[in-house]
Amino acid sequence: MSAYALASAAFLLFSLAAAGFLTCGSLVRMLMFLELMLNAANIALVALGPETVSQAYAVMLFAIAAAEAGIGLALIITLASVFRTLEAENIKELKG
Amino acid sequence: MILNAAFYLFSGLAALATLLMIFQRDPVKAAMLMLAALLSTAGIYLVLSAQLLAALQIILYAGAIMTLFIVALTATPAAWRDKPGRGSFMKVLGLAAASVILMELLKVSTALKAITVSPEFSETGTLDLASALFGRFAFQFELLSLVILAAIVAAVALTAKRRTAQ
Repeated sequence: MSAYALASAAFLLFSLAAAGFLTCGSLVRMLMFLELMLNAANIALVALGPETVSQAYAVMLFAIAAAEAGIGLALIITLASVFRTLEAENIKELKG
Repeated sequence: MILNAAFYLFSGLAALATLLMIFQRDPVKAAMLMLAALLSTAGIYLVLSAQLLAALQIILYAGAIMTLFIVALTATPAAWRDKPGRGSFMKVLGLAAASVILMELLKVSTALKAITVSPEFSETGTLDLASALFGRFAFQFELLSLVILAAIVAAVALTAKRRTAQ
C-alpha cells in the first residue's frame, strides 16, 4: 500500500466532514463535523508520520479535541438559551 | 494483505457513515452515525498498529465526547433544533465544494505515490509511545493539563453565568 492511499482515505474523510460542516444549519451538528475533521487530521498524522512521534501528537490532539468539545457545547448551550434556537442562521444579532 | 483490506474496509465504513450523517435529519440518528465513524477510526488505528490510540479513541471520542453530544441534544428543547424542511440542494452543493477540496488535497500529495508503506502489526508501539510522552514530550504533555484545566474552568463559568442570569 502506498502512502498516497493512506493519505487519500484521511483526505476523503476530511472533505466529507467539511461538506457536512458547510451545509448543516444546526450548531451542534457543526461541532460534530468539526470533531470529525479533527479526527481525519489525526488519521493522516498517525498514518504518515514517524510512528512514535506522530502517535504522541495524536494523543495530545485527543485531549485538545475533548477540551474543544466541552467548551464548544457550553458556548452553544449558552447561545441557544439566549436566542432560543440552535440554528446558526437565526443567530444574527451581536447584542443578545 | 489482510491489513490492507481491513484499512480499506474501515475507511469505507467511516466515509459511508459520514456521508449518511450529512443527509440524516434526526439529530440523535446523526449522532449514532458519528459513533459508527469514530469506531471505524478506532479500527483504522488498530490496523496502523496504534493500539493505545484505538483504545483512547473508543474511550474518549466514542465514550466521552459522544455522550456529551447526546446529552446536549437531549437537554435542548426540540423546538430549537433544525427545521425539517431543509432542502437537499444545499447539501449537494456542499458535497461539490468538498470534492473540490478533496481534488486539491490529492493533487498536492501526488509526491506520496512514490513512498510505499507496508502496515505490519507490532506490539511494542505502546511502550515507545509512553516513553516518548513521559520523556521527550513531557513538557508538552504537562502543558496539556493546563489546557484541560482552562477548558473545565471556561465550561463551568459559562454555564454558571447562565444559571445566575436566569
